[in-house]
Amino acid sequence: MTLSFGLCLAALFVLAAIGTPLALAMIVSAVVYLAMKGQDLGLAAEQIIQGLYNSFLLLSVPLFIVAANIMNAGTISDRLLKFCMALVGRFRGGLGHVNVVANMVFAGMSGSAVADAVGLGKIVIQMMTQGNRYPRGYAAAITAAASTIGPIIPPSIPMVLYALVSDTSIGYLFLGGILPGILMGIVLMMLNYRVARRRNFPVDTAVPMRELPALTVRAFPALLMPVILLYGIYGGATTPTEAAAVAAAYALLLAALFYRALSFRALYDILYESTRASASVGLVIGGALILNYIVASENIPNVVAHAMDGLHVPPLAFLLALNVLFLLLGCLLDATTLILVIVPLFVPTCRALGIDMIHFGVVIVVNCMIGLITPPYGIVLFVLNAITGIPLREIIAEIWQFIAVLVAALLIMILFPEVVLWVPQMFGYAGK
Amino acid sequence: MGNGAIRRVRAWLELGAEAVGAGLLAATFLAFVVQVVFRYVLDNPLGWTLEACLTLWIWLVFWGGAFLLGPRDHVSFDMLYEACNTRVRRVLALISSLSIVVAFAVSLPATWSFISFYSIQDSATLGIRMDYVFSVYALFAVGTILRYGWRVVCLLRGDPPDPVVTTP
Repeated sequence: MTLSFGLCLAALFVLAAIGTPLALAMIVSAVVYLAMKGQDLGLAAEQIIQGLYNSFLLLSVPLFIVAANIMNAGTISDRLLKFCMALVGRFRGGLGHVNVVANMVFAGMSGSAVADAVGLGKIVIQMMTQGNRYPRGYAAAITAAASTIGPIIPPSIPMVLYALVSDTSIGYLFLGGILPGILMGIVLMMLNYRVARRRNFPVDTAVPMRELPALTVRAFPALLMPVILLYGIYGGATTPTEAAAVAAAYALLLAALFYRALSFRALYDILYESTRASASVGLVIGGALILNYIVASENIPNVVAHAMDGLHVPPLAFLLALNVLFLLLGCLLDATTLILVIVPLFVPTCRALGIDMIHFGVVIVVNCMIGLITPPYGIVLFVLNAITGIPLREIIAEIWQFIAVLVAALLIMILFPEVVLWVPQMFGYAGK
Repeated sequence: MGNGAIRRVRAWLELGAEAVGAGLLAATFLAFVVQVVFRYVLDNPLGWTLEACLTLWIWLVFWGGAFLLGPRDHVSFDMLYEACNTRVRRVLALISSLSIVVAFAVSLPATWSFISFYSIQDSATLGIRMDYVFSVYALFAVGTILRYGWRVVCLLRGDPPDPVVTTP
């Protein structure tokens, strides 16, 4: 490691730690590096501009954000919840199950955990805490945990970012997320069932079975969305970015015409909010691209690969150790930075050890999503705290059990790569 | 011009910046829909939509970064910051803002020469001069210098370190 690179890292860590916007901190530390190296200071701008301008895949990010925001604004979340209520609301801890299932369905339409927590989460938490039926900390904690499924079941913004840095197929990555997402849903529902029995959570009056068809019909157009999306990508009809545009257009049509829940003013607000969200994600991506450039010109990934090669670590041990590292980093860093900056350091090592890059990608994205709900820095916890006013202390007291079962699910995915790879292989993925 | 007038002009400018941002996103979205319709429905793929989307995308990111995102709207790690008292916060905010201003200002000439170098190249399908396409980064750099420079001034003047959060 050179002195310039050391100073660059020092600047990054100090600035980030004292609350400087992450994207700007990355640009500043890049300028520090270039100045120390005596290189052209314009390189920072060049990397960030060219990186964003040359990636067609990244265009799906703002489109997925718009799609999720449109669905949150319309009554689509509402209808989905009613449908899920009829489906699983009859069991003990019913609303907890509704929460998880609704998130799994919603995950098929949105690619961001924070969007799911904001949209669905707010409504479900209201339902759960009405009349003190569930402790509010528990309601928020299960919502946070369930929202992590969002970017695992496709579409997924974090997977788009992983595909970008690892040069893997976004289509196979999306497919690889389907079973792990369902697995996460199952472990969360098992936990909810146990806790509900032990703490005697209420049983809601069951929605009569004869109402189920009508509710299904009302929710059907929304349920069709994941099908359209997946068919578009895997039928080979559209590229993932175009599929994202189709998804956003479909959500808009549904909300505006079919459900009639969208005014012009509301649409403007959605566009404006989505622009802000896209700009803030886009800048972090840009900042990470410059850091990647620096890390690559310092030859760090190969140094890591070489060092690992010398240690003769078995692939499984390496994967486990890396996951522990990422879980720890996830307590402190946000998922975008982890995927864009830290993951590339280990990509050459993974390839050298013969680890499947799709398997690795899905596992790492699941890991980073668990990082979104681990204190002290868990962005989903903060968001839920901000929109519901439930104190962080109460959410955190309940979140640990959910983190524990999600980590168990993660371990299953690491130990049994088939959980990830079975679906992609059915669609012709040849492996490695 | 009185204070009221300045405030009104500012409000208008902010509304304008918002509208441009929302418009950029709407245009990206529309261009994509046009592309999908022409390629898959009419079976007559267009070349320019792709380039239009990429251009709109970088404009959206940097326009948003320059005019729509305040210090508190960015992704940031503010746990330490939040835990400190007002005096320490003022110092931390000063260090952040100053480093941003210095780094962006120092690299501005080189950045500008990188952008203006592209005046010799036109974009592939729309034929727009590439320095125009990339110029939004300069806007972002200058906007950032002004925003954080102003924050330094406010902090030194004794304003509270947390900027007033205007959007929910």
